Amino acid sequence: MTTTTNGPIVGLDPTSGPLERRDDRELKPRPQSLDGQVLGLVANGLGRGEPFLDALYEEIATLSHPTGAVRVLKSSVSVAPEPADWARLSSEASVAITGFGG
Amino acid sequence: MRGDLVPGLAPTAGTRSLPMRGVRGRLPAQGFAVTNAERHEYTDYDALHEDYEKRGWTDGLPVVPPTPDKVERFLEAAGLAPDEVLGSVPTREVVVTAEHAAINAVMAGCRPEYMPVVVAAVRAHLHEKANCHSTTGTLSGASQVLIINGPVRKAIDVNCEGACFGPGFRANATIGRALRLVVRNVCRAIPGFLDRASFSSPLRYSFCFGEDEEGSDWTPLHVERGLAADQSAVTVHSTMTFTPAVDFTSRTPEDVCETLLTHLRRQGVFTDRFLGDGQNVLFVVGPEHRRYFTEAGWSKDDIRGYLWPRCQKPGKGERPVMLGGPEGMLIAAAGGPGMAETWILFPHLAWAITEPVDTLRRS
Repeated sequence: MTTTTNGPIVGLDPTSGPLERRDDRELKPRPQSLDGQVLGLVANGLGRGEPFLDALYEEIATLSHPTGAVRVLKSSVSVAPEPADWARLSSEASVAITGFGG
Repeated sequence: MRGDLVPGLAPTAGTRSLPMRGVRGRLPAQGFAVTNAERHEYTDYDALHEDYEKRGWTDGLPVVPPTPDKVERFLEAAGLAPDEVLGSVPTREVVVTAEHAAINAVMAGCRPEYMPVVVAAVRAHLHEKANCHSTTGTLSGASQVLIINGPVRKAIDVNCEGACFGPGFRANATIGRALRLVVRNVCRAIPGFLDRASFSSPLRYSFCFGEDEEGSDWTPLHVERGLAADQSAVTVHSTMTFTPAVDFTSRTPEDVCETLLTHLRRQGVFTDRFLGDGQNVLFVVGPEHRRYFTEAGWSKDDIRGYLWPRCQKPGKGERPVMLGGPEGMLIAAAGGPGMAETWILFPHLAWAITEPVDTLRRS
C-alpha cells in the first residue's frame, strides 16, 4: 500500500509499553541436571494431564535422580494457579513442569 | 511478534523516537491531550507502516497512522481523559486506558464517532469473567464476537442484515478490529508470545455485527440483559467454535429447534469452577428461520423453553450443555434472506458480557 504524505508524520506507540523489569523476581537459570531436584508438576485439569505428568515423572526418574514431586492441579482450567499453589511451588519445588490436557 | 519483546525484531533503522510526555518525562494530562504514549517520527506514511509492522504493532494489514491529533479527537468523541482506566489483565500486569483504546481504534480505521462503542467493547472484554487471560492466550484461537444493540447501530451504520458477518461495512470491520488490536498491542496477546493458538482464526481480524432489531419483533439482546431499549450496548462473546445450522426443510419452530439441538448436543458446552454457571451460547437467527418462529408467535423465551430441557440429558455420543439455565442461551436476530440458517457460537471459557455504550461526554 502506498500513501503519500507531505512532511514528517508522528505516530503514537499503541502498546502498553515495554515490559518493566521487577527487582523482586527474576528467572532462575535452567538447571544442568534434575539430580536432587524437587519437580513441581502443574496440571491444568483438562483431559489426562495428571496421569501424563505422573508418567513423565516416572520417565524422568529413570534418566536422573529427582528427590520428589509437588503436584498441583489448577482449580479451574481457565485461570492461573491460585496464590496458595504458587506458594507451594515456590517453597517446595526447585523446578516446575506444566502440562496441558486437551 | 513485537519487536521489543522478541529477540531479532527491532524498530526500522532510522526511526526517530521522540521524548515521551507525562510520566517518565511526560506532561501532565490536560483535557483530551495524549499524555502517555511514546511518539515516533517518520518521513512519510510508508515509513511509519513499515516500522509499525516490523515492531509487531499491526495485525498484518495496513493501519491508519495514530497521530496525536487524531487520537485526541477520538478521546474527545468518547468524552474520556487519556488516563481513564477501562480495565486490566492482572496476570499480564496490564492496565488498559482510554488512550490505548483510542490509538488502536485510529489504527483500525474507526471514525471518531465509533469510539464510545470501542470503549464499551474493551470494557466488556476486560470484565473478569470475560477472561481475557484465557480467551486470548488459548491454543484454540478463540475469537471475540461483538454484538451491537440500540440506537447507535443506526447512528454509525452498523450492518445487521445481509452479509453482516463479512467484509464491506466500515463500522463492523473496524470496531471489531479495534478490540483485537487492543488485545494484541496492549494485552500482549501476540502470536508466539502470549497468544499460543495452534491455528488461530480469521475471525480474529474482526467479528462485529448488530442485532436486526427493526427486522424482528423479539426483545433485543441488550434489553433481555437488563438495559433499556433506547440504551445502546455492546455484548462481547468469546467463541471457540461455531456452527452454521443450515436447515431448509423445517417449517415449524419445533423442527428448527430440533436442528439446533442436534448441533448443540454434538458440540456441548463445558465449564469450570471459575466460570460457574455464567457461560453462554449465542444463537444468531437468520430471517428464514425467524419467520417460522414469529409466524407461530414464538418469543426468544419460547425458543429457550424448548431447547433447554432437551439438552440437559445427553444421550450416547452427545455432550453436556453446561449452562446455568435457559437464560445462558443468548439469541440475536441478524443476517439476510435466502439461506435458511442459524449460527450457533459456542463459548470459550468466558461469560458473554454486555456493556452500555456511553455516548455522553463525561468531561
